[in-house]
Amino acid sequence: QTEPLHTVAPVILSVNWSVSHQIYLDLLWWSSFHLYHKLPSIVPESCLLILVGLLLGGIIFGAEEKSPPVMNSDVFFLYLLPPIVLDAGYFMPTRLFFENFGTIFWYAVVGTLWNAIGIGISLYGICQISAFGLTDITLLQNLLFGSLISAVDPVAVLAVFENIHVNEQLYILVFGESLLNDAITVVLYNLFKSFCQMRTIKVIDIFAGIANFFIVGIGGVLIGILLGFVAAFTTRFTHKIRVIEPLFVFLYSYLSYITAEMFHLSGIMAITACAMTMNKYVEENVSQKSYTTIKYFMKMLSSVSETLIFIFMGVSTVGKNHEWNWAFVSFTLLFCLIWRALGVFVLTQIINVFRTIPLTFKDQFIIAYGGLRGAICFSLVFLLPPAVFPRKKLFITAVIVVIFFTVFIQGITIRPLVEFLDVKRSNKKQPAVSEEIYNRFFDHVKTGIEDVCGHWGHNFWRDKFKKFDNKYLRRLLIRENQPKSSIVSLYKKLEIKHAIEMAESGMISKVPSSVSLSDYHEGKIKPLSPTEMENMREILTKNLYQIRHRTMSYNRHSLAADANEKQAKEILIRRRHSLRESLRKTNSLSRERPAAANTKRFLSLPKNTKLPEKLRVRNKTSSKVGDSSDSEMDATTTVLNLRPRAGKILRDQRLRQQRPPPDFRVEWKNEVDGSQGGRGEPQEPSALPQPSIGFRQPLLTRPRFGTLSREDMTADHGSARPTPPPRLVRQASQGERQRNKPENQPY
Amino acid sequence: MEKVNRSRDKQKGKKDTTAEVFSHSQITRLYSRFTSLDKGENGTLSREDFQRIPELAINPLGDRIINAFFPEGEDQVNFRGFMRTLAHFRPIEDNEKSKDQNGPEPLNSRSNKLHFAFRLYDLDKDDKISRDELLQVLRMMVGVNISDEQLGSIADRTIQEADQDGDSAISFAEFVKVGKLHFYLLNETAHPCFLHTLT
Repeated sequence: QTEPLHTVAPVILSVNWSVSHQIYLDLLWWSSFHLYHKLPSIVPESCLLILVGLLLGGIIFGAEEKSPPVMNSDVFFLYLLPPIVLDAGYFMPTRLFFENFGTIFWYAVVGTLWNAIGIGISLYGICQISAFGLTDITLLQNLLFGSLISAVDPVAVLAVFENIHVNEQLYILVFGESLLNDAITVVLYNLFKSFCQMRTIKVIDIFAGIANFFIVGIGGVLIGILLGFVAAFTTRFTHKIRVIEPLFVFLYSYLSYITAEMFHLSGIMAITACAMTMNKYVEENVSQKSYTTIKYFMKMLSSVSETLIFIFMGVSTVGKNHEWNWAFVSFTLLFCLIWRALGVFVLTQIINVFRTIPLTFKDQFIIAYGGLRGAICFSLVFLLPPAVFPRKKLFITAVIVVIFFTVFIQGITIRPLVEFLDVKRSNKKQPAVSEEIYNRFFDHVKTGIEDVCGHWGHNFWRDKFKKFDNKYLRRLLIRENQPKSSIVSLYKKLEIKHAIEMAESGMISKVPSSVSLSDYHEGKIKPLSPTEMENMREILTKNLYQIRHRTMSYNRHSLAADANEKQAKEILIRRRHSLRESLRKTNSLSRERPAAANTKRFLSLPKNTKLPEKLRVRNKTSSKVGDSSDSEMDATTTVLNLRPRAGKILRDQRLRQQRPPPDFRVEWKNEVDGSQGGRGEPQEPSALPQPSIGFRQPLLTRPRFGTLSREDMTADHGSARPTPPPRLVRQASQGERQRNKPENQPY
Repeated sequence: MEKVNRSRDKQKGKKDTTAEVFSHSQITRLYSRFTSLDKGENGTLSREDFQRIPELAINPLGDRIINAFFPEGEDQVNFRGFMRTLAHFRPIEDNEKSKDQNGPEPLNSRSNKLHFAFRLYDLDKDDKISRDELLQVLRMMVGVNISDEQLGSIADRTIQEADQDGDSAISFAEFVKVGKLHFYLLNETAHPCFLHTLT
């Protein structure tokens, strides 16, 4: 029959047209939005996307005189939601998550229950008032409505929290809660929906519902973990087929989602658990390039999904499927806010008893205010069976109003409110140049002390898990048998070595020379003009090192902070350089020896110039084979034992008043062959204080080294190579100056 | 846990006010951290143990902070000293202010915190931050794009703003005055207190 085709084709075409135009327009909009960088700070992106959607919907509605294609709930749940959750789960800081797991769980489960039942019952109370014309809505329908409207949406939360920089703890609380409450929402929703369709409800059904919750949640998590392990196991064997490694990651995560949904378990929990599991192990198995691909592709998918979701929401708003009822809508909104605030407040009082660090009022406010509703409620309401819910349109309208309110009003105002709550006690009357310095100084000190205290507290379960992990899981799931050194750390070592060589040519002149000292003594300090002060402040702001963020604040649109890596590199290089210098300086037993001779011997330039070339050659060959595997490296590596004997000498002689240099062994696995290995070793032990090899440095994340492409390296080599001869001269003259300085090293 | 109690009692045997400012669970955590850092398992930490902390390695002031843990001229720090240094960073609680006016000033008092920070600058311990010392710290905190001259002028400006007795160096009193403005940073609220790490 050709009839259906005639009717179907235009529909498909129009849908295609609208969808593709939507995508096109939204991409256009989105790119221009990001170009104007002030805007995201005022208005969260989700708002603008919804506005665009509204516009589009309006256009379509006006053009075609019928409701534009509504977002299909299936499309949302099957295609649009998983990438976002996958992205969030993959980049979730797991340690922080588990540290706060109790609180997150508490808020997610009890909080959502509280909200759902509270809103449901109070709305039922309102419906009973016959003046509003709502008496036909039963208690169960209200409860169902309450359960779906109390779902805090991770998409919306993420979109808004990008603007306000809350501390990590708070961020993980709100975000974790929004992820976990999916289990509750699904259970409650299905529970009440089936209750609505049943004639009688027995007590046993309620208990079945509670049991159902546990099954849904835990079952989802188990499926996710299981498939995560399978994925990790698979990647153990993929070193021959590097190009499809990213595929496995996406495949298995999506599989976990679909499988969980198939069994009516919580798909979001499954995919989150899968992502978190995979993150740990897959990262070590896949090649550098696959890893980068995975991350970027994930970001791309989630960005596209999020954009589409919000635009669809806007489009779906315009249309004829609404029913407005002042009482219902406004009371819904009111109850959502009230119950959320009450819930957070009461729950926090209880949970604070169990926490070492109680949540302050400001924290509570942000948690309550950050409970944004988004696309999940939206789709859930569209899924309501209209046969059971004759007033479905009313529900749709109410949901839309709530979503718009939370996303727009709360999204836009949360930032000023957060700033308002941050009562700054310092008086800003006197903008001193030094202010920035002091601020940053104190921040660094605090961060440093925090790091000394460390993350690893006394946690029985975590230690147990780590032991189990090391003994069984890692051996099973990770390819290399050496738990200490993996490809990643090997790359790191290469890069560090290379960076040091590079830095030697560039950084030596950066040590404050005595030239500036002499200037000072001669001249007086003249009062600076305001513009000069401004310049200074600008210089400082740009150049002062940032505080390390323990966890990368999640950003949908960009990956790891490159600035942090660059800065980390500089600091590390400088420290090693200073340490080396100090060692060199004090190792000269007789102070009369001219520094020039010292430096020449130490730097041993001719060998230095050869080294970068060798590195490059080796890297070429190794990257041809495909990103390195340890077996190849082993053949060409030597273990460089740089054992500083200076330490012992110095302690005996007490030449230095500073602390003695560290006394540990550093193993360098690099591609330098044996002859190079002797560089500097017999003359000067160059103790490079590298944190123990293989120690996973969470800060030095992979992109830092992975993105250093070959082109970059050759460019650097090109600049490094011509410099040696002038370096010698400069170094010799500078060496003397450095000796004149009272303290050469900043220790 | 027994081990913890025993050693803690040992530490407490000496007249030890620092143990009293931390709560039980905090001490336990700190001790567990101490032991996890102490690779040589001899009950003391050396500088290498601190340097093994990777985050500290990329902290610009990392070495100075490490140095602050070690008393003058020593290379090892025991748990008591460890806690003592960390005690500087507890936030000041209001109920502590009123009690014990006659006793020794608590370690986390404002002036002690500032003194701690001051000592990070002042290496030669002459109770003054000279231009040179300031320059060193500045250089550590700043990237490679600032020339020495610029850095020198920034240091000059900093001293000028703080210096009141005209000796072209910052004494502790002057430092306190400037530090008070920014003191709240050491006292938390905007940023998570270091004790967050103990949860």
